Amino acid sequence: MIDLLLIFISTLLINNLVLSSFLGICPFLGVSGKIESAFGMGMAVTFVMTLATSIGWLIYHLILVKFGLLYLEYVVFILVIASLVQMVEMFIRKFSTNLYQSLGIFLPLITTNCAILGAALFMVSRNYNFLESVVFGFSGGLGFSLVLLIMAGIREELIYADIPKAFKGASLTLITAGLLALIFMGFSGLISA
Amino acid sequence: MKEVLKITGVLTSICIICVFLLSFVYGIAVEKIEINKQKRVEDAIINLAPNAEKIEKVKIDNETIYNLFNNKGKIFGYAFIAEGQGYQGKIKMLSVIDVSLKKLHGIEVVESIETPGLGAKIKDDPFKTQFININISKDIECLKDDPKNDNQIKSITGATVSSRAVTNILNKKINIIKNLVNKK
Amino acid sequence: MKEFIKGLWHEHPVFRQLLGMCPTLAVTTSALNGISMGLSVVFVLFFSSLVVSLIKKIVPPQVRIAVYTVIIATFVTIVDIFLQAVFPDISMALGPFIPLIIVNCIILGRCEAFVSKHSLSDSLQDALGMGLGFTWGVFLLGSIRELFGDGSILGFRILSSNYNPLIVMILPAGAFIVLGFLVAIMNSLEK
Repeated sequence: MIDLLLIFISTLLINNLVLSSFLGICPFLGVSGKIESAFGMGMAVTFVMTLATSIGWLIYHLILVKFGLLYLEYVVFILVIASLVQMVEMFIRKFSTNLYQSLGIFLPLITTNCAILGAALFMVSRNYNFLESVVFGFSGGLGFSLVLLIMAGIREELIYADIPKAFKGASLTLITAGLLALIFMGFSGLISA
Repeated sequence: MKEVLKITGVLTSICIICVFLLSFVYGIAVEKIEINKQKRVEDAIINLAPNAEKIEKVKIDNETIYNLFNNKGKIFGYAFIAEGQGYQGKIKMLSVIDVSLKKLHGIEVVESIETPGLGAKIKDDPFKTQFININISKDIECLKDDPKNDNQIKSITGATVSSRAVTNILNKKINIIKNLVNKK
Repeated sequence: MKEFIKGLWHEHPVFRQLLGMCPTLAVTTSALNGISMGLSVVFVLFFSSLVVSLIKKIVPPQVRIAVYTVIIATFVTIVDIFLQAVFPDISMALGPFIPLIIVNCIILGRCEAFVSKHSLSDSLQDALGMGLGFTWGVFLLGSIRELFGDGSILGFRILSSNYNPLIVMILPAGAFIVLGFLVAIMNSLEK
Protein backbone atom coordinates (compact mmCIF):
# COMPACT_ATOMS: atom_id res chain seq x y z
CA MET A 1 0.00 0.00 0.00
CA ILE A 2 2.80 2.39 0.95
CA ASP A 3 4.48 1.55 -2.37
CA LEU A 4 1.39 2.63 -4.27
CA LEU A 5 1.23 5.88 -2.32
CA LEU A 6 4.89 6.56 -3.09
CA ILE A 7 4.33 5.96 -6.79
CA PHE A 8 1.33 8.26 -6.67
CA ILE A 9 3.14 11.16 -5.03
CA SER A 10 6.35 10.81 -6.96
CA THR A 11 4.52 10.68 -10.31
CA LEU A 12 2.27 13.56 -9.40
CA LEU A 13 4.89 15.98 -8.10
CA ILE A 14 8.49 14.83 -8.27
CA ASN A 15 8.76 13.04 -11.58
CA ASN A 16 5.97 14.99 -13.19
CA LEU A 17 5.67 13.75 -16.77
CA VAL A 18 5.48 17.25 -18.25
CA LEU A 19 8.08 19.08 -16.23
CA SER A 20 10.71 16.43 -15.71
CA SER A 21 10.30 14.01 -18.61
CA PHE A 22 9.07 16.51 -21.23
CA LEU A 23 6.09 14.37 -22.11
CA GLY A 24 2.92 15.94 -23.44
CA ILE A 25 4.48 19.30 -24.18
CA CYS A 26 2.46 19.95 -27.35
CA PRO A 27 -0.96 19.93 -25.68
CA PHE A 28 0.68 21.62 -22.71
CA LEU A 29 1.59 24.58 -24.92
CA GLY A 30 -1.52 24.41 -27.09
CA VAL A 31 -4.37 24.00 -24.60
CA SER A 32 -3.08 25.89 -21.59
CA GLY A 33 -4.56 29.23 -22.68
CA LYS A 34 -7.84 28.90 -20.82
CA ILE A 35 -8.60 27.16 -17.53
CA GLU A 36 -11.79 25.63 -18.86
CA SER A 37 -10.27 23.82 -21.82
CA ALA A 38 -7.22 22.90 -19.75
CA PHE A 39 -9.50 21.16 -17.28
CA GLY A 40 -11.32 19.19 -19.97
CA MET A 41 -8.10 18.18 -21.67
CA GLY A 42 -6.61 17.12 -18.34
CA MET A 43 -9.57 14.91 -17.52
CA ALA A 44 -9.57 13.30 -20.98
CA VAL A 45 -5.83 12.58 -20.73
CA THR A 46 -6.17 11.16 -17.19
CA PHE A 47 -8.93 8.85 -18.36
CA VAL A 48 -7.11 7.64 -21.46
CA MET A 49 -3.80 7.28 -19.64
CA THR A 50 -5.23 5.15 -16.83
CA LEU A 51 -6.92 2.88 -19.35
CA ALA A 52 -3.86 2.79 -21.60
CA THR A 53 -1.48 1.69 -18.84
CA SER A 54 -3.95 -0.94 -17.58
CA ILE A 55 -4.79 -2.43 -20.96
CA GLY A 56 -1.21 -1.96 -22.14
CA TRP A 57 0.07 -3.90 -19.11
CA LEU A 58 -2.30 -6.80 -19.76
CA ILE A 59 -1.40 -7.02 -23.45
CA TYR A 60 2.31 -6.64 -22.79
CA HIS A 61 2.59 -9.28 -20.10
CA LEU A 62 -0.06 -11.74 -21.25
CA ILE A 63 0.60 -11.64 -24.99
CA LEU A 64 3.85 -9.98 -26.02
CA VAL A 65 6.09 -11.44 -23.32
CA LYS A 66 4.55 -14.86 -23.63
CA PHE A 67 5.06 -15.16 -27.36
CA GLY A 68 8.40 -13.34 -27.56
CA LEU A 69 7.01 -10.49 -29.64
CA LEU A 70 8.63 -7.68 -27.70
CA TYR A 71 9.70 -5.87 -30.85
CA LEU A 72 6.01 -5.18 -31.58
CA GLU A 73 5.75 -3.16 -28.36
CA TYR A 74 5.50 0.29 -29.97
CA VAL A 75 3.04 -0.72 -32.68
CA VAL A 76 0.77 -2.45 -30.19
CA PHE A 77 0.81 0.38 -27.64
CA ILE A 78 0.07 3.02 -30.24
CA LEU A 79 -2.85 0.97 -31.57
CA VAL A 80 -4.29 0.58 -28.07
CA ILE A 81 -4.02 4.32 -27.48
CA ALA A 82 -5.49 5.25 -30.87
CA SER A 83 -8.52 3.03 -30.32
CA LEU A 84 -9.01 4.30 -26.76
CA VAL A 85 -8.98 7.88 -27.99
CA GLN A 86 -11.52 7.03 -30.66
CA MET A 87 -13.74 5.53 -27.98
CA VAL A 88 -13.46 8.52 -25.70
CA GLU A 89 -14.29 10.78 -28.63
CA MET A 90 -17.47 8.86 -29.43
CA PHE A 91 -18.38 8.75 -25.75
CA ILE A 92 -18.01 12.48 -25.20
CA ARG A 93 -19.83 13.33 -28.43
CA LYS A 94 -22.78 11.31 -27.29
CA PHE A 95 -23.03 12.50 -23.69
CA SER A 96 -21.82 16.07 -23.59
CA THR A 97 -22.16 18.30 -26.61
CA ASN A 98 -20.64 21.22 -24.72
CA LEU A 99 -17.54 19.33 -23.75
CA TYR A 100 -17.28 17.96 -27.27
CA GLN A 101 -17.40 21.43 -28.78
CA SER A 102 -14.67 22.77 -26.54
CA LEU A 103 -12.52 19.64 -26.70
CA GLY A 104 -13.34 18.31 -30.15
CA ILE A 105 -10.22 19.52 -31.89
CA PHE A 106 -7.93 18.35 -29.11
CA LEU A 107 -9.15 14.80 -28.92
CA PRO A 108 -7.30 13.51 -31.98
CA LEU A 109 -4.25 15.24 -30.50
CA ILE A 110 -4.35 12.90 -27.52
CA THR A 111 -3.32 10.07 -29.84
CA THR A 112 -0.11 11.93 -30.44
CA ASN A 113 0.20 12.98 -26.81
CA CYS A 114 3.53 11.46 -26.01
CA ALA A 115 2.69 11.50 -22.31
CA ILE A 116 0.41 8.53 -22.83
CA LEU A 117 2.80 6.44 -24.91
CA GLY A 118 5.60 7.57 -22.59
CA ALA A 119 3.67 6.43 -19.53
CA ALA A 120 3.03 3.04 -21.14
CA LEU A 121 6.73 2.62 -21.91
CA PHE A 122 7.86 3.81 -18.46
CA MET A 123 5.52 1.30 -16.88
CA VAL A 124 7.27 -1.46 -18.81
CA SER A 125 10.81 -0.27 -18.16
CA ARG A 126 10.14 0.21 -14.44
CA ASN A 127 8.74 -3.31 -14.11
CA TYR A 128 5.54 -2.20 -12.40
CA ASN A 129 2.98 -4.86 -11.53
CA PHE A 130 -0.62 -4.47 -12.63
CA LEU A 131 -1.85 -2.45 -9.67
CA GLU A 132 1.19 -0.19 -9.71
CA SER A 133 0.66 0.43 -13.42
CA VAL A 134 -2.93 1.51 -12.88
CA VAL A 135 -1.89 3.88 -10.09
CA PHE A 136 0.99 5.14 -12.20
CA GLY A 137 -1.26 5.86 -15.20
CA PHE A 138 -3.81 7.61 -13.04
CA SER A 139 -1.33 9.76 -11.14
CA GLY A 140 0.54 10.54 -14.36
CA GLY A 141 -2.69 11.87 -15.85
CA LEU A 142 -3.48 13.86 -12.70
CA GLY A 143 0.03 15.31 -12.68
CA PHE A 144 -0.45 16.37 -16.29
CA SER A 145 -3.79 18.03 -15.43
CA LEU A 146 -2.29 19.76 -12.40
CA VAL A 147 0.53 21.36 -14.39
CA LEU A 148 -1.84 22.21 -17.24
CA LEU A 149 -4.21 23.98 -14.82
CA ILE A 150 -1.44 25.90 -13.06
CA MET A 151 -0.12 26.97 -16.44
CA ALA A 152 -3.54 28.05 -17.68
CA GLY A 153 -4.05 30.09 -14.52
CA ILE A 154 -0.74 31.87 -15.00
CA ARG A 155 -1.34 32.50 -18.69
CA GLU A 156 -4.76 34.00 -18.13
CA GLU A 157 -3.05 36.63 -15.98
CA LEU A 158 -0.06 37.06 -18.28
CA ILE A 159 -2.25 38.37 -21.09
CA TYR A 160 -2.22 41.72 -19.28
CA ALA A 161 1.54 41.78 -18.80
CA ASP A 162 3.56 44.25 -20.80
CA ILE A 163 6.37 42.28 -22.41
CA PRO A 164 8.63 42.73 -25.47
CA LYS A 165 6.85 41.78 -28.67
CA ALA A 166 9.27 38.99 -29.60
CA PHE A 167 8.54 37.15 -26.35
CA LYS A 168 4.79 37.13 -26.86
CA GLY A 169 3.09 33.76 -27.27
CA ALA A 170 5.04 30.52 -27.27
CA SER A 171 8.27 32.05 -26.09
CA LEU A 172 6.78 33.40 -22.88
CA THR A 173 4.91 30.14 -22.29
CA LEU A 174 8.14 28.17 -22.56
CA ILE A 175 10.01 30.42 -20.15
CA THR A 176 7.11 30.24 -17.68
CA ALA A 177 7.23 26.46 -17.99
CA GLY A 178 10.94 26.59 -17.22
CA LEU A 179 10.32 28.53 -14.03
CA LEU A 180 7.54 26.13 -13.11
CA ALA A 181 9.95 23.21 -13.61
CA LEU A 182 12.41 24.92 -11.26
CA ILE A 183 9.68 25.24 -8.65
CA PHE A 184 8.72 21.59 -9.00
CA MET A 185 12.35 20.61 -8.44
CA GLY A 186 11.74 21.72 -4.88
CA PHE A 187 9.52 18.67 -4.41
CA SER A 188 12.40 16.30 -5.08
CA GLY A 189 13.33 16.12 -1.40
CA LEU A 190 9.82 15.01 -0.51
CA ILE A 191 10.55 11.30 -0.67
CA SER A 192 13.90 9.91 0.30
CA ALA A 193 14.87 6.49 -0.92
CA MET B 1 -21.98 -2.26 -43.79
CA LYS B 2 -19.70 -2.09 -46.82
CA GLU B 3 -18.01 0.91 -45.25
CA VAL B 4 -17.29 -0.98 -42.04
CA LEU B 5 -15.80 -3.89 -43.98
CA LYS B 6 -13.56 -1.54 -45.92
CA ILE B 7 -12.30 0.22 -42.78
CA THR B 8 -11.58 -3.03 -40.97
CA GLY B 9 -9.99 -4.49 -44.09
CA VAL B 10 -7.60 -1.59 -44.66
CA LEU B 11 -6.60 -1.32 -40.99
CA THR B 12 -6.07 -5.06 -40.64
CA SER B 13 -4.05 -5.43 -43.81
CA ILE B 14 -1.82 -2.46 -42.93
CA CYS B 15 -1.17 -3.98 -39.51
CA ILE B 16 -0.38 -7.36 -41.00
CA ILE B 17 2.05 -5.87 -43.53
CA CYS B 18 3.78 -3.87 -40.78
CA VAL B 19 4.07 -6.88 -38.50
CA PHE B 20 5.61 -8.96 -41.29
CA LEU B 21 8.05 -6.21 -42.14
CA LEU B 22 9.08 -5.89 -38.51
CA SER B 23 9.56 -9.57 -37.88
CA PHE B 24 11.68 -9.71 -41.04
CA VAL B 25 13.95 -6.83 -39.93
CA TYR B 26 14.11 -8.18 -36.39
CA GLY B 27 15.04 -11.62 -37.69
CA ILE B 28 18.06 -10.18 -39.48
CA ALA B 29 19.18 -7.99 -36.60
CA VAL B 30 18.50 -10.18 -33.58
CA GLU B 31 21.83 -11.99 -33.74
CA LYS B 32 23.80 -8.77 -33.99
CA ILE B 33 21.90 -7.25 -31.04
CA GLU B 34 22.62 -10.28 -28.86
CA ILE B 35 26.31 -10.12 -29.77
CA ASN B 36 26.38 -6.41 -28.84
CA LYS B 37 24.77 -7.08 -25.49
CA GLN B 38 27.17 -9.94 -24.80
CA LYS B 39 30.12 -7.79 -25.80
CA ARG B 40 29.06 -4.95 -23.51
CA VAL B 41 28.93 -7.35 -20.55
CA GLU B 42 32.30 -8.88 -21.41
CA ASP B 43 33.94 -5.48 -21.90
CA ALA B 44 32.66 -4.37 -18.53
CA ILE B 45 33.96 -7.55 -16.86
CA ILE B 46 37.43 -7.16 -18.41
CA ASN B 47 37.45 -3.55 -17.24
CA LEU B 48 36.80 -4.56 -13.65
CA ALA B 49 38.88 -7.71 -13.61
CA PRO B 50 41.65 -7.41 -16.22
CA ASN B 51 43.20 -10.71 -15.15
CA ALA B 52 40.15 -12.73 -16.22
CA GLU B 53 41.43 -15.32 -18.71
CA LYS B 54 38.18 -17.16 -19.16
CA ILE B 55 34.59 -16.16 -18.50
CA GLU B 56 32.01 -18.86 -17.97
CA LYS B 57 28.32 -18.06 -17.84
CA VAL B 58 26.30 -20.24 -15.47
CA LYS B 59 22.68 -20.17 -14.42
CA ILE B 60 21.62 -21.21 -10.92
CA ASP B 61 18.06 -20.83 -9.66
CA ASN B 62 17.20 -18.32 -12.42
CA GLU B 63 20.18 -16.13 -11.52
CA THR B 64 22.95 -15.66 -14.06
CA ILE B 65 26.47 -15.38 -12.73
CA TYR B 66 29.77 -15.38 -14.59
CA ASN B 67 32.60 -17.49 -13.16
CA LEU B 68 35.92 -15.73 -13.75
CA PHE B 69 39.07 -17.84 -14.15
CA ASN B 70 42.62 -16.51 -13.81
CA ASN B 71 45.56 -17.74 -15.92
CA LYS B 72 46.07 -20.72 -13.60
CA GLY B 73 42.54 -21.89 -14.35
CA LYS B 74 41.24 -21.10 -10.87
CA ILE B 75 38.07 -19.16 -10.11
CA PHE B 76 39.04 -15.83 -8.55
CA GLY B 77 35.69 -14.06 -8.66
CA TYR B 78 32.13 -13.94 -9.89
CA ALA B 79 30.62 -11.26 -12.09
CA PHE B 80 26.93 -10.51 -11.85
CA ILE B 81 24.39 -8.03 -13.17
CA ALA B 82 22.24 -6.09 -10.72
CA GLU B 83 19.36 -3.89 -11.73
CA GLY B 84 16.66 -1.86 -10.07
CA GLN B 85 14.85 1.44 -9.90
CA GLY B 86 16.89 4.64 -9.78
CA TYR B 87 15.70 8.24 -9.71
CA GLN B 88 14.58 8.55 -13.34
CA GLY B 89 14.36 4.91 -14.38
CA LYS B 90 16.12 1.61 -14.42
CA ILE B 91 19.77 1.38 -13.34
CA LYS B 92 21.58 -1.69 -14.56
CA MET B 93 25.13 -2.39 -13.49
CA LEU B 94 27.73 -5.06 -13.57
CA SER B 95 29.93 -5.91 -10.64
CA VAL B 96 32.64 -8.42 -9.80
CA ILE B 97 32.67 -10.01 -6.37
CA ASP B 98 35.84 -11.63 -5.05
CA VAL B 99 35.87 -15.41 -4.58
CA SER B 100 36.29 -14.83 -0.82
CA LEU B 101 32.90 -13.04 -0.91
CA LYS B 102 34.48 -10.31 1.27
CA LYS B 103 35.08 -7.53 -1.26
CA LEU B 104 34.05 -6.17 -4.65
CA HIS B 105 36.45 -5.59 -7.54
CA GLY B 106 34.35 -2.58 -8.56
CA ILE B 107 31.18 -1.68 -10.42
CA GLU B 108 30.37 -0.60 -13.97
CA VAL B 109 27.05 1.04 -14.83
CA VAL B 110 25.81 -0.51 -18.06
CA GLU B 111 22.48 1.21 -18.39
CA SER B 112 20.88 4.22 -16.73
CA ILE B 113 18.86 7.29 -17.60
CA GLU B 114 19.68 9.34 -14.50
CA THR B 115 19.76 13.14 -14.78
CA PRO B 116 22.78 14.26 -16.82
CA GLY B 117 25.19 16.30 -14.73
CA LEU B 118 23.77 14.95 -11.46
CA GLY B 119 22.58 11.38 -11.10
CA ALA B 120 24.39 10.37 -14.27
CA LYS B 121 27.64 10.82 -12.34
CA ILE B 122 27.11 7.33 -10.91
CA LYS B 123 28.80 6.21 -14.14
CA ASP B 124 31.83 8.41 -13.57
CA ASP B 125 35.07 8.10 -11.73
CA PRO B 126 35.03 9.70 -8.32
CA PHE B 127 31.85 7.86 -7.43
CA LYS B 128 32.55 4.59 -9.23
CA THR B 129 36.07 4.10 -7.88
CA GLN B 130 34.75 4.08 -4.29
CA PHE B 131 33.49 0.57 -4.96
CA ILE B 132 36.90 -0.85 -5.80
CA ASN B 133 37.90 -3.28 -3.04
CA ILE B 134 35.01 -2.17 -0.86
CA ASN B 135 34.27 -4.43 2.10
CA ILE B 136 31.01 -6.34 1.68
CA SER B 137 31.00 -8.49 4.82
CA LYS B 138 28.30 -6.05 5.91
CA ASP B 139 25.88 -4.09 3.70
CA ILE B 140 27.41 -1.17 1.84
CA GLU B 141 26.37 2.14 3.39
CA CYS B 142 25.84 5.39 1.55
CA LEU B 143 26.78 8.52 3.51
CA LYS B 144 26.47 12.23 2.84
CA ASP B 145 29.83 12.87 4.52
CA ASP B 146 33.23 11.33 3.97
CA PRO B 147 33.26 7.60 4.73
CA LYS B 148 34.96 6.30 7.90
CA ASN B 149 34.71 2.53 7.49
CA ASP B 150 35.70 0.40 4.52
CA ASN B 151 32.09 -0.55 3.78
CA GLN B 152 30.94 3.04 3.27
CA ILE B 153 30.84 5.38 0.31
CA LYS B 154 30.07 9.08 -0.11
CA SER B 155 27.00 9.96 -2.16
CA ILE B 156 27.06 12.39 -5.08
CA THR B 157 26.18 15.95 -4.03
CA GLY B 158 22.67 16.73 -5.22
CA ALA B 159 21.98 13.16 -6.29
CA THR B 160 21.50 11.27 -3.05
CA VAL B 161 18.58 9.32 -4.48
CA SER B 162 20.62 7.94 -7.37
CA SER B 163 23.57 7.13 -5.09
CA ARG B 164 21.38 5.35 -2.56
CA ALA B 165 19.67 3.46 -5.37
CA VAL B 166 23.05 2.11 -6.48
CA THR B 167 23.99 0.81 -3.02
CA ASN B 168 20.51 -0.60 -2.37
CA ILE B 169 20.45 -2.48 -5.67
CA LEU B 170 23.97 -3.79 -5.03
CA ASN B 171 23.33 -4.90 -1.43
CA LYS B 172 20.23 -6.81 -2.43
CA LYS B 173 21.99 -8.65 -5.22
CA ILE B 174 25.19 -9.30 -3.26
CA ASN B 175 23.18 -11.14 -0.60
CA ILE B 176 21.55 -13.29 -3.26
CA ILE B 177 24.91 -14.08 -4.85
CA LYS B 178 26.48 -14.92 -1.47
CA ASN B 179 23.70 -17.41 -0.74
CA LEU B 180 23.99 -18.99 -4.16
CA VAL B 181 27.75 -19.41 -3.97
CA ASN B 182 27.60 -20.78 -0.45
CA LYS B 183 24.98 -23.32 -1.47
CA LYS B 184 27.15 -24.40 -4.39
CA MET C 1 12.63 23.38 -54.18
CA LYS C 2 10.32 25.88 -52.50
CA GLU C 3 8.81 23.09 -50.40
CA PHE C 4 12.27 22.03 -49.25
CA ILE C 5 13.54 25.48 -48.23
CA LYS C 6 10.55 26.55 -46.16
CA GLY C 7 11.13 23.90 -43.48
CA LEU C 8 14.63 25.22 -42.89
CA TRP C 9 13.59 28.73 -41.93
CA HIS C 10 10.18 30.31 -42.61
CA GLU C 11 8.12 27.41 -41.38
CA HIS C 12 10.78 25.95 -39.13
CA PRO C 13 9.10 23.05 -37.29
CA VAL C 14 10.63 23.76 -33.88
CA PHE C 15 10.93 27.55 -33.70
CA ARG C 16 7.94 28.59 -35.78
CA GLN C 17 5.41 25.78 -35.65
CA LEU C 18 6.40 24.48 -32.20
CA LEU C 19 6.04 20.90 -33.35
CA GLY C 20 7.89 17.97 -31.88
CA MET C 21 8.60 19.70 -28.59
CA CYS C 22 8.99 16.58 -26.45
CA PRO C 23 12.01 15.05 -28.20
CA THR C 24 13.37 18.54 -28.83
CA LEU C 25 13.55 19.27 -25.14
CA ALA C 26 14.25 15.79 -23.86
CA VAL C 27 17.27 14.71 -25.90
CA THR C 28 19.08 18.01 -26.24
CA THR C 29 21.26 17.61 -23.15
CA SER C 30 24.20 17.39 -25.55
CA ALA C 31 24.89 18.33 -29.17
CA LEU C 32 25.58 14.75 -30.25
CA ASN C 33 22.29 13.47 -28.87
CA GLY C 34 20.59 16.30 -30.75
CA ILE C 35 22.10 15.32 -34.10
CA SER C 36 21.36 11.61 -33.69
CA MET C 37 17.76 12.36 -32.80
CA GLY C 38 17.49 14.78 -35.74
CA LEU C 39 18.76 12.28 -38.28
CA SER C 40 16.48 9.52 -36.95
CA VAL C 41 13.56 11.89 -37.41
CA VAL C 42 14.66 12.70 -41.00
CA PHE C 43 14.68 8.98 -41.79
CA VAL C 44 11.29 8.26 -40.25
CA LEU C 45 9.68 11.41 -41.66
CA PHE C 46 10.95 10.69 -45.18
CA PHE C 47 9.78 7.09 -45.34
CA SER C 48 6.49 7.73 -43.57
CA SER C 49 5.70 10.56 -46.01
CA LEU C 50 6.58 8.25 -48.89
CA VAL C 51 4.31 5.45 -47.73
CA VAL C 52 1.47 7.71 -46.61
CA SER C 53 1.59 9.54 -49.94
CA LEU C 54 1.32 6.24 -51.81
CA ILE C 55 -1.57 4.81 -49.82
CA LYS C 56 -3.51 7.95 -48.90
CA LYS C 57 -6.20 7.28 -51.53
CA ILE C 58 -7.18 3.86 -50.22
CA VAL C 59 -7.28 4.76 -46.51
CA PRO C 60 -10.79 5.59 -45.24
CA PRO C 61 -10.74 8.96 -43.42
CA GLN C 62 -12.11 7.53 -40.14
CA VAL C 63 -9.05 5.37 -39.51
CA ARG C 64 -6.54 7.73 -41.12
CA ILE C 65 -4.76 8.67 -37.88
CA ALA C 66 -4.58 5.07 -36.67
CA VAL C 67 -3.12 3.90 -39.99
CA TYR C 68 -0.57 6.73 -40.08
CA THR C 69 0.60 6.12 -36.53
CA VAL C 70 0.97 2.39 -37.18
CA ILE C 71 3.11 3.12 -40.23
CA ILE C 72 5.20 5.60 -38.26
CA ALA C 73 5.55 3.16 -35.34
CA THR C 74 6.82 0.54 -37.79
CA PHE C 75 9.56 2.77 -39.16
CA VAL C 76 10.53 3.90 -35.68
CA THR C 77 10.88 0.29 -34.56
CA ILE C 78 13.11 -0.31 -37.60
CA VAL C 79 15.32 2.64 -36.61
CA ASP C 80 15.41 1.32 -33.05
CA ILE C 81 16.44 -2.19 -34.13
CA PHE C 82 18.98 -0.76 -36.59
CA LEU C 83 20.64 1.42 -33.94
CA GLN C 84 20.73 -1.44 -31.45
CA ALA C 85 22.41 -3.69 -34.00
CA VAL C 86 24.83 -1.27 -35.65
CA PHE C 87 25.42 1.67 -33.30
CA PRO C 88 24.89 0.24 -29.80
CA ASP C 89 26.44 3.30 -28.12
CA ILE C 90 24.05 5.80 -29.70
CA SER C 91 21.22 3.40 -29.02
CA MET C 92 22.16 3.41 -25.32
CA ALA C 93 22.10 7.20 -25.12
CA LEU C 94 18.90 7.71 -27.10
CA GLY C 95 17.19 4.47 -26.12
CA PRO C 96 14.31 5.82 -24.05
CA PHE C 97 13.59 8.62 -26.52
CA ILE C 98 13.52 6.70 -29.81
CA PRO C 99 9.93 5.53 -29.24
CA LEU C 100 8.93 9.16 -28.73
CA ILE C 101 9.56 9.77 -32.43
CA ILE C 102 6.30 7.90 -32.99
CA VAL C 103 4.38 10.58 -31.20
CA ASN C 104 6.58 13.36 -32.51
CA CYS C 105 3.90 15.66 -33.81
CA ILE C 106 6.16 16.79 -36.65
CA ILE C 107 5.70 13.46 -38.36
CA LEU C 108 1.98 12.97 -37.86
CA GLY C 109 1.47 16.71 -38.34
CA ARG C 110 3.18 16.74 -41.72
CA CYS C 111 1.46 13.53 -42.86
CA GLU C 112 -1.89 14.98 -41.89
CA ALA C 113 -1.47 18.62 -42.92
CA PHE C 114 0.78 18.39 -45.97
CA VAL C 115 1.20 14.93 -47.46
CA SER C 116 -2.53 14.27 -47.62
CA LYS C 117 -3.04 17.34 -49.84
CA HIS C 118 0.09 17.41 -52.01
CA SER C 119 1.88 15.35 -54.67
CA LEU C 120 4.50 12.75 -53.89
CA SER C 121 7.53 14.81 -54.91
CA ASP C 122 6.33 17.90 -53.01
CA SER C 123 5.71 15.72 -49.96
CA LEU C 124 9.20 14.23 -50.05
CA GLN C 125 10.78 17.68 -50.39
CA ASP C 126 8.66 18.90 -47.50
CA ALA C 127 9.68 15.88 -45.40
CA LEU C 128 13.39 16.44 -46.03
CA GLY C 129 13.14 20.18 -45.37
CA MET C 130 11.18 19.74 -42.14
CA GLY C 131 13.47 16.91 -41.02
CA LEU C 132 16.65 18.87 -41.63
CA GLY C 133 15.12 22.00 -40.10
CA PHE C 134 14.33 19.95 -37.02
CA THR C 135 17.89 18.59 -37.02
CA TRP C 136 19.58 21.99 -36.98
CA GLY C 137 17.12 23.20 -34.38
CA VAL C 138 17.90 20.39 -31.95
CA PHE C 139 21.61 20.64 -32.73
CA LEU C 140 21.59 24.35 -31.84
CA LEU C 141 19.62 23.76 -28.66
CA GLY C 142 21.85 20.82 -27.69
CA SER C 143 25.02 22.83 -28.31
CA ILE C 144 23.87 25.76 -26.18
CA ARG C 145 22.84 23.51 -23.30
CA GLU C 146 26.02 21.46 -23.49
CA LEU C 147 28.15 24.60 -23.69
CA PHE C 148 26.71 26.21 -20.58
CA GLY C 149 25.92 23.03 -18.70
CA ASP C 150 29.20 21.25 -19.29
CA GLY C 151 31.55 23.76 -20.91
CA SER C 152 31.97 21.76 -24.11
CA ILE C 153 30.36 21.15 -27.51
CA LEU C 154 30.29 17.66 -29.04
CA GLY C 155 32.57 16.63 -26.19
CA PHE C 156 35.30 19.20 -27.07
CA ARG C 157 36.09 21.55 -24.22
CA ILE C 158 35.32 25.15 -25.23
CA LEU C 159 35.17 27.06 -21.97
CA SER C 160 38.18 26.86 -19.66
CA SER C 161 38.13 24.22 -16.96
CA ASN C 162 37.72 26.99 -14.36
CA TYR C 163 34.22 27.47 -15.71
CA ASN C 164 31.68 26.37 -13.16
CA PRO C 165 28.98 24.54 -15.16
CA LEU C 166 25.40 25.75 -14.86
CA ILE C 167 23.80 22.42 -14.13
CA VAL C 168 20.34 23.93 -14.52
CA MET C 169 20.99 24.14 -18.28
CA ILE C 170 21.01 20.36 -18.50
CA LEU C 171 17.99 19.99 -16.26
CA PRO C 172 14.45 20.29 -17.68
CA ALA C 173 14.05 23.87 -16.45
CA GLY C 174 17.03 25.00 -18.52
CA ALA C 175 15.65 23.30 -21.62
CA PHE C 176 12.39 25.24 -21.42
CA ILE C 177 14.09 28.57 -20.78
CA VAL C 178 16.72 28.24 -23.55
CA LEU C 179 14.06 27.21 -26.05
CA GLY C 180 11.87 30.12 -24.94
CA PHE C 181 14.67 32.55 -25.65
CA LEU C 182 15.52 30.94 -28.99
CA VAL C 183 11.89 31.25 -30.10
CA ALA C 184 11.95 34.93 -29.10
CA ILE C 185 15.18 35.48 -31.05
CA MET C 186 13.70 33.81 -34.13
CA ASN C 187 10.60 35.98 -33.77
CA SER C 188 12.60 39.17 -33.75
CA LEU C 189 14.81 38.05 -36.66
CA GLU C 190 11.74 37.34 -38.74
CA LYS C 191 10.45 40.92 -38.41
